This record gives sequence, structure tokens and C-alpha cells, in this order.
Amino acid sequence: MAILEVKNLTHTYSGNSPFVNDAVSDVSFAIEKGEIVGIIGHTGSGKSTLVQHLNGLLKPTEGEVLFENEDIWANPKEIRKIRSKVGLVFQYPEYQLFEETVIKDIAFGPKNMGLEGDELDKTVKEICEIVGVKHEFFEKSPFDLSGGEKRRVAIAGVMAMKPEVIVFDEPTAGLDPKGREDVMKIIRNYRKATGATVIIISHSMEDMANLADKILVMNKGKIYKFDTVANVFSNSEELRNIGLNVPIVTRVFEELSDLGINLPERALTIDSAVEILSALKAEVENA
Amino acid sequence: MDNIIEIKNVSFEYTDEQTVHTAVKNINLNIKRGSFTVILGHNGSGKSTLAKMMNGLNKPTFGDVFVDGINTRDEETEIEVKRRVGMVFQNPDNQLVASIVEEDVAFGPENLGLEPEVIRQRVDKALKAVGMAEFANSTPHRLSGGQKQRIAIAGIIAMEPECLVLDEPTAMLDPKGRREIINTLERLNKEKSITVVLITHYMEEAENADRVLVMNDGEIIEDGKPSEVFQNVKLLKSVGLDVPQTTELLYALKQKGFSVDTSKISIKDTAKEIAKSFFKE
Amino acid sequence: MLKDITFGQYYEASSPVHKCDPRVKIILMLCFIVFIFVSQNAFALALSTVAVFFVLLLSRVPMKLFLKNLKAIWFVLFFTAVINLFYSNSGTVLLHFWKIEITTGGIYRSIFMALRIVLLIFISSVLTYTTTPNSLTEAIERLLSPLKYIGLKNAVHTFAMMMTIALRFIPTLIEEAEKIMNAQKARGADLENGSLVERVKALIPILIPLLISSVRRAYELAEAMECRCYNGGEGKTRMKQLRMSTVDLYAIIFIVVFAALVITLNIIF
Repeated sequence: MAILEVKNLTHTYSGNSPFVNDAVSDVSFAIEKGEIVGIIGHTGSGKSTLVQHLNGLLKPTEGEVLFENEDIWANPKEIRKIRSKVGLVFQYPEYQLFEETVIKDIAFGPKNMGLEGDELDKTVKEICEIVGVKHEFFEKSPFDLSGGEKRRVAIAGVMAMKPEVIVFDEPTAGLDPKGREDVMKIIRNYRKATGATVIIISHSMEDMANLADKILVMNKGKIYKFDTVANVFSNSEELRNIGLNVPIVTRVFEELSDLGINLPERALTIDSAVEILSALKAEVENA
Repeated sequence: MDNIIEIKNVSFEYTDEQTVHTAVKNINLNIKRGSFTVILGHNGSGKSTLAKMMNGLNKPTFGDVFVDGINTRDEETEIEVKRRVGMVFQNPDNQLVASIVEEDVAFGPENLGLEPEVIRQRVDKALKAVGMAEFANSTPHRLSGGQKQRIAIAGIIAMEPECLVLDEPTAMLDPKGRREIINTLERLNKEKSITVVLITHYMEEAENADRVLVMNDGEIIEDGKPSEVFQNVKLLKSVGLDVPQTTELLYALKQKGFSVDTSKISIKDTAKEIAKSFFKE
Repeated sequence: MLKDITFGQYYEASSPVHKCDPRVKIILMLCFIVFIFVSQNAFALALSTVAVFFVLLLSRVPMKLFLKNLKAIWFVLFFTAVINLFYSNSGTVLLHFWKIEITTGGIYRSIFMALRIVLLIFISSVLTYTTTPNSLTEAIERLLSPLKYIGLKNAVHTFAMMMTIALRFIPTLIEEAEKIMNAQKARGADLENGSLVERVKALIPILIPLLISSVRRAYELAEAMECRCYNGGEGKTRMKQLRMSTVDLYAIIFIVVFAALVITLNIIF
């Protein structure tokens, strides 16, 4: 069953707003429950505008967004309810931290949903467990943490609402390699623990290949392609034309084919590349 | 003199809630004139602190830093040091002072007290050097991240420095913006022989560098050509870093019994190296 | 919403008003403001109106940008008009209810005051639309420079630098405020409903991150300025020199003629 469905969504910005170039026009797609969907597209392709419709931060100029087959704008007064069902983690989420302690900050979301007392406490602790917020940090000020830890706490703040769909806008931006790996781990852990549907905007084709089931390619406010990872990355020429690329490993494989090596399939990740090449080598040696 | 920057027995300490931390531990390092050096290290490894000592923004607790032979400790020559070694930071928004591009680029030369005609020439030249001449009269807040960062670089270039130190200038940019910055830096280094010291978290940006330094816990733990440094896959991963995807692929293949040279970095070289295993003799 | 604020936004065009020396422009604008307020009768105000619109047309800035600035203060305008409506009881009574009466004198006065404010907004918008923030601050710095003889040299430069930076960061901070607002809304924050106290409380999750990020920006900017050899106003030169030209001469002649006419009209009628 589709958990989220976008139908003929159009969003135009007025006048000389700095976001004019990020408009979306006539976009339709459906995301199945439990899927991990990656969104790629160069800056200004409309992807940030698109995801802000999924939790009702923006209202479509035309078209509709359905959550579990219901129009999220059916009752505009109730729009806040959708925000706990579809969580949205913005770029550099650590800039939203404001409470005196880490634990209070993480509790902000669930408290806004009306949780209190033991239930609130339980939810927050549970999320800290999943996300890996250390016990010793609970009573610390979030502003005293390192950059990577701040990001972790900020992500926990959205996950604490236990959203069924969680959307990330470039969750690893600005982090060092270790920090990037940690964030990917948090996303995987949350999904494992809750079975949530994950949507993730990223510029890293390698992360996409490692994590996503499907990829939605945005270009000039429209969907350029929405398909499995393998199919999206099967045509690098096409992607390059719209300012994107395929994973580096895939590019190495393309070079190998150009050099005359007959590869049975294209690799998207290092693990699959090693597997394919090892098998081929064994074949050559046996022959 | 061969070295634009000489760092001698330098340590840097700071106090935080009464505990003394050592961010940089007894480092000796020379930066050759005209070279392109990349410094890698995880957050908190001391690389930013070290960079800020290269133009006197931070003064060493122990030891001395010399820029073109001038000790960065001398207060009278502070401007001379900053003019020779320019710095660019991570967030382009927080480096631009004026609301019009060319007026911002003029800020440095104006502070140096140059004649108006000279400033005009330098501003035009600097904007051209970073490929932003057509945006001279735009306002920074309408530009993309990569464009803003190029304006920040132009603002430094307009002071005609010998050396550019950049502290994670690509961290907040998209792949297009990152490529713009790296191309600009490589061009400035080649065509204008400006010395470049680039701090980054993106391993592939080190591919064409003359020299790669790896920092961990305030010390330099690796120093060499990119092809040499990236061979130490295990070491790099153990200090929270990464290697380029190509190196990682070659390394993984080697573990599986492929006889490949893991020092290749570019995609083409990597493919050729792998292909050798299939076309034997 | 927040994005509608156009304060300090330069509109690029090539016009005599753009070419005018910003120092002259500031002084002329002050003259204009004085004349608009000393225009005592309909004839004088009509002349001021014509003069203001003449400058607007000359500036080649689209009319809708001026109207946009007006939109931002419509409430002030409305309020002034209404207050003045009841302020005068001269002329014939048009409407009478309870203790209030509206007279022709009131209507006249109401239109008069509202028009003055409109002209005021228009003429000051001309200045900000046709002058880059930098040359504006430089002009202020130059105009205030006599203050250095009474020991305020640094104060003048510091003030001008502060203005430049403020103008540069207004759009950046507005954008940031919107981002933080959206991020907190995504965490279920309710900014639209509730009592006044609740709404003020709801601002805390926005104001604290905004404050912290401003402090961080200020710190980073200070470092970047230091790296660009900033050392206060001492020994600083300017790329763009302010020079008076024939355009300025025409501008001065224009304002003198305008002044003479306003005064004459005020006396005659």
C-alpha cells in the first residue's frame, strides 16, 4: 500500500522570492510503506520544495498530497497532526537546538504532540537508545556538544515524534567522514527499530547506492525518473546531462567496459564490484 | 627563500573550564612556495587551529611561525603577514562584508590603503581570476554557495597574497559548487603560482595535490604524495577518515587476491589497473 | 511575509538619480522632507507631489517597488488618516453620530496627512533604491566627518561599518529565521494559535537558535575581516570615490527652484 502519494503537485513562488528557481510543477508519485527512497537533483531542481509539502509545511498551489490515502489538507486546522506522522529533518538540523538540556530538547517534539509524564519520558529514552545519545549527555547543554553529536541530538528530536515516514534533507552535509557514517547508521537503526519509510535527499551517489531501494531524480521542477537504484544508475550519460552522476565504482566499471572487458553486470557499490570482479577472475582463470 | 611558511616546534594550548587542552602538539612543517598542500583530519584533530596559525590569527603557545621570514608574533608586522597569507573559511555567508560583489572584493585592498585606481584594477583582476567578473554588481545573497565562496576567494586574491589557506571551503557546498572551488584553486595555483593549503573532508579533493598531510590528535601522522598517503587505508580509517572510492576498491580487490597497485586514484588509472588482471601477459 | 521587506535593497538601473552623488542625494532628500512638511496648502502640496513623482520617474525604478514599500506600512497610513479625520471640526459637517462629527475640514486634513506620509515613503525609497548600501554608508560617514573635530572620529567610522554589515546581513538573517521557524514547525511547534502569552512563549524556540547563530556569524565575520587586514578606519582608502558632477548641479538647481516655489505658494495662498 502506498503510504504517501503525491498527485499533480505544483508549487510556484511569487515575485522575487529567492526560491523562485526551486518551484515544482505537476509532480506525481507514490511511495510504498517501508521503502527507502533517495531524491537526487542539482540545487534548484525543486527537491527541497517538494519535501516541504510532504509534512504540510508548504501548501500545494495545485494538486494534493495523500497520507494513507487521505488528503493532508482535508482539514487545514489539523495540519499539525501530519507533522508527527511525516517527520522532516532539515539541512544542518543542529541550528534548531534551543533547550537547556539535551533531554529537554529531544522532548520538544513529542511534547508538542501532547505526550507527557512517564509516556514522554519513555519515548525520549527509547529514541536516545536507538540514535545512540549517550547517557552522560542527557543533562548537558546541547550547545556544549561537538558538531557531530549536536547533529545526532537534533535528528533524535525529530525521531522522538515516532514518525511513520521520515524525510532527511542532506543529513550528512558539512560532516567529516566519521560523522557521515554515524548519521547513516542512525538512519538504518531507526528504520530497523520502527519499520519507518525513509526519504532522503543527498548529493552523494555512493550513499544512495548503499542505502536506497529506489531513486527519484528531479530536474527543473519535474520528475526526471523514478525507478530502482540499478535502473536509475544504468544510464550515466542521461544523468550527466542534468548535472548529476553515477557512483564512482560504476564509473570505474564503465571504463572497464570501454577497455574491452566483458562485465556481466554493473556494480553500484564496492562490495558488489568486488564480488562481480572476483567471479569474473575465477572464470577467466578456470578457462 | 624556498618556503613561504615555516612552522617551528609549534604547540597550541587553550583553556576550557579550567582544563588545559593541547590542540596542536609540537609540529614542525614547511610549506614550499608554489605548492598545493591538502590537510586531512577529523573534526577536532587540530587542523583548523594549525591553519589559523599560518597567518597569525592564532599565535602559537610555544614555538614560532614564520611567513616569508616574518615572525607572526611581531605586532608591527601583523598586516604584512595577513597580506601574504590569506584565509578563506567554511561558511561563505560569514565572510562577505558588503552587499555588492565588487565592493566586497575591494574591502581588503581598501584596508591596505591602496590608491582607488589600483584597487579597481585588482578587483577586476580578482573577479576574473575566479570567473565571477559578470557578477561584479550583483548582491551576494542572490548567488549560489559556490559562487559566494568564489567571491570570498576573490576578496583574498585582491590583496595579492602569496599563499591561500582554506579551511574546509567546500564543506557547505553541493557537488557543482565543490568542483567550481577546486578548479578555481588548481588554476590559481598553476597559472598565478599562488601557494595553496587546503583543508578538507573530501578525500577526492586531494587527488591532484602535491602533498597530503594527515592530522590526528594535534599531530601530523602522515605526510607524502596522495598516492602514498592513501595506501594506508587502515590507518586513515582508524583516525575517522576515509580514502577515495577508487583506492578503496583497489584495496578491497587486493585483499581478494588481485595483484593490483593500490596507489592509483583517478577513475581511468584505476580501471586500467584492474584491467591488467584480466589481460595477463 | 518577511521576504517583502525591501529595506536597503538597491535596484540597478542607469538614471540621473543613480548617478547623483549620494551625499547630495541625502541632503536633497532631507530638504524634500522639510518641504513636504512645510507645504501648508493644497497648491504647495500638489507641487511637492508633482516634484516627488518627477524624481520617481527620473529614477527609472518600477513604480510597483514603491507601492510595495507602501504596503508594508499601510496600517500607519490608515491610522493617520482616521485620526486626522476626527481631528478637525472646521468646514461643513457631513456626518454626525454620537459625539463624533466628520467635517469637510477633517477629510481635507486626513487626505493631506496621508499624502504627506506617502510622499515621505516614496522619496526616501528613491534614495535606498538608487544608492548602493556601501555608498550610502560612505556618504553618511563623509557627511558626519566634521564630528571628528570634536573627537568622534572612530565613532563615525564604526557607525558606518555597522550600517554596512547590518544591511549585508538583513536578508541572510531573514532567511535563517524562516528556516528555523520551519524546522520548529516540523517538530510540531504551534506558532499560529493560542493566547498572546502562549504565542510569545512559542517564539523562544526560534529566537534562541537565531541569537546563537548570529553570535557565531559575528565571531566568524570578525575573523574573516581580520584576515582581510581590517584595522578600523585608520589609513583605509575607497575604490569608489565620491565625485560631484553636472548631474549634482542640476539636482541642486532643481531643489532650489522647488524650494522657492513651495515658499511662494505657501505665502500667496
